[in-house]
Amino acid sequence: MLIELKGIHKTYDNGQPLHVLKGIDLNIEKGEFVSIMGASGSGKSTLLNILGILDNYDEGTYHLGGTLIKDLSERQSADYRNRMIGFVFQSFNLISFKTAVENVELPLYYQGVGRKKRHDMAMEYLEKLGLTQWASHFPNEMSGGQKQRVAIARALITKPQIILADEPTGALDSKTSVEVMQLLKQLNQEEGLTIIVVTHEGGVANETDKIIHIKDGIIGEIEENRSHSAWGGSIIK
Amino acid sequence: MKKWFDTDTFREILDSILRNKSRSLLTGFGVFWGVFMLMLLTGGGQGFKQLLMKEFDGFAQNTCIVIASSTSKPYKGFEKGRNWNLDYGDVDRLKNMVPELETVSPTVSLWGKTVSRDEYTSSRAVVKGARADYANIETPKLKYGRWLNDADNLQERKVCVIGKRVYEELFPEGGSPLGKRLSVDGSYYTVVGVNWNEGDISVDGRASDSVVIPINQAKRAYNLGNTIHLLCFTAKPGITMSDVTPRVKEVIARRHLLDPTDEQAMFLLNTQLIFGIVDNLFKGINFLIWLIGLGTLLAGVIGVSNIMMVSVKERTTEIGIRRAIGATPNQILGQIISESIVLTLVAGMSAIVFSVLILSGVELAMTTDGMLKAPFQVPFWTAVLAAVLLAVLGVVAGLMPAARAMQIKPVDAMRDE
Repeated sequence: MLIELKGIHKTYDNGQPLHVLKGIDLNIEKGEFVSIMGASGSGKSTLLNILGILDNYDEGTYHLGGTLIKDLSERQSADYRNRMIGFVFQSFNLISFKTAVENVELPLYYQGVGRKKRHDMAMEYLEKLGLTQWASHFPNEMSGGQKQRVAIARALITKPQIILADEPTGALDSKTSVEVMQLLKQLNQEEGLTIIVVTHEGGVANETDKIIHIKDGIIGEIEENRSHSAWGGSIIK
Repeated sequence: MKKWFDTDTFREILDSILRNKSRSLLTGFGVFWGVFMLMLLTGGGQGFKQLLMKEFDGFAQNTCIVIASSTSKPYKGFEKGRNWNLDYGDVDRLKNMVPELETVSPTVSLWGKTVSRDEYTSSRAVVKGARADYANIETPKLKYGRWLNDADNLQERKVCVIGKRVYEELFPEGGSPLGKRLSVDGSYYTVVGVNWNEGDISVDGRASDSVVIPINQAKRAYNLGNTIHLLCFTAKPGITMSDVTPRVKEVIARRHLLDPTDEQAMFLLNTQLIFGIVDNLFKGINFLIWLIGLGTLLAGVIGVSNIMMVSVKERTTEIGIRRAIGATPNQILGQIISESIVLTLVAGMSAIVFSVLILSGVELAMTTDGMLKAPFQVPFWTAVLAAVLLAVLGVVAGLMPAARAMQIKPVDAMRDE
């Protein structure tokens, strides 16, 4: 079991307490390609943040690859994030004053990998994603799809066990959305990566093998979706 | 573990600074201006002090000069208003009675003499008689030749050392005047030296207006007998002149039957006192310079801190991303503080360089006849101190923004603007 959540509770306290997660129990196996679906305010982003060690939780336990993730120091959580998790964001979150290859290199920089090796690895991943000729371009010189692919390359470069994608197609048109989802699917099948996609779009969720519905802070239905037919089989924008 | 400094870290910092050139430039300018003012003012202050000290050119800093004047009090049967003269006896007596004195040297001066080279070339000058040891009182800056020596005096040689203006008037063609003969009041003196001192202290005529001859020769040529006009002395190292002057007064007063309480009978010019005043004046000016300079610098540093604060705010997303992909808070802290240090140091260093350039320009303008009038320079250690201070201020300026940057959670990166 790669990810094991038991009775996770999370309450935000901004003036008045907001109970976002009300007891989440969730297991995700290694190599799964799952999506977490829910309306806005359902707590899916909070769940993703907890999975990504970006946020902590109040109650319950979270085991990631056998390690209990609780009350970590900033330094430890930074290290776990760096080595175990790759993030893909809705708004790409590339650093605008760095070129594509520099963006991809960045996680390795924080691992203390030497510049030459870093650069070679980044180029390798860019090549894998068909972005070699865009390596020295800045994010604002690239299309949305290209940017998201750079972001995926950045997520992959540390060879993480999990890719967490928060609305990865949210800022893309439907054609590009399909491409990005195909890419994620391919990574799942070929590299055996565990991929968790958070989305509110049925079409996107349909591309994954398992759809976890979350509503009002608790897990609803968990839908096996091997046939990819849950939502009519196409991405609906 | 990563090294504290490597080219990667440095490139990260440089990237962030260069990304927003105009902002970095304006931020740096505050620091630049502070350091620039500080350096320019200290360098300038130093220069003006030197320039003022030039007025005392050559004079030993612990010199005192005694001048005889008429008495203002009756004493031992003498009426008040009596004129008296210093004499050679005073020289010996002071030397014996006041062991704290180093050099005691008599001089005589004869004003308004005409010095001629030939029938067409002549100059007005003060003829001074002095001994070799007068050099300890007023150090000659010899452009040509030598100063008078003991043999000149003992053998009553007819030799002279001429001042700068006298030289320029008598030898307008330039070149060495050594061995040339000058006539004063019918006697001929061979030039053995040219004194280039330019001090404006005119105790018995400026050095540049003087023709200095051996005192024994002057005594004979002008029938001065035992009389001397000035008595100059220096105190031994470590001795404060003001501690010695009362004893000197006492010795002279007893010898010449002057009322010891008569303040007017003799006049003592204590250069240590004057140097002290000038020194204190410049200490005060220096204090003000540092006050203004540091104040401006502080304002600049607060500016850096302020801008970095804004910059951190602006870069919330960027810092969030860095945190999300594995930067530890310490790495973020290090980066912000390093950025602040680099910005402060680069601005400060260029200010030091720029102010040194300006001061060199001032020096160039002040140079006459290839001789520097006064060095307008930033003292080396002041510059070093300023550099260290800048680094420290850079850290201080970076602290608050860095603290804020550390509070940025990676989640912040995921929020859409």
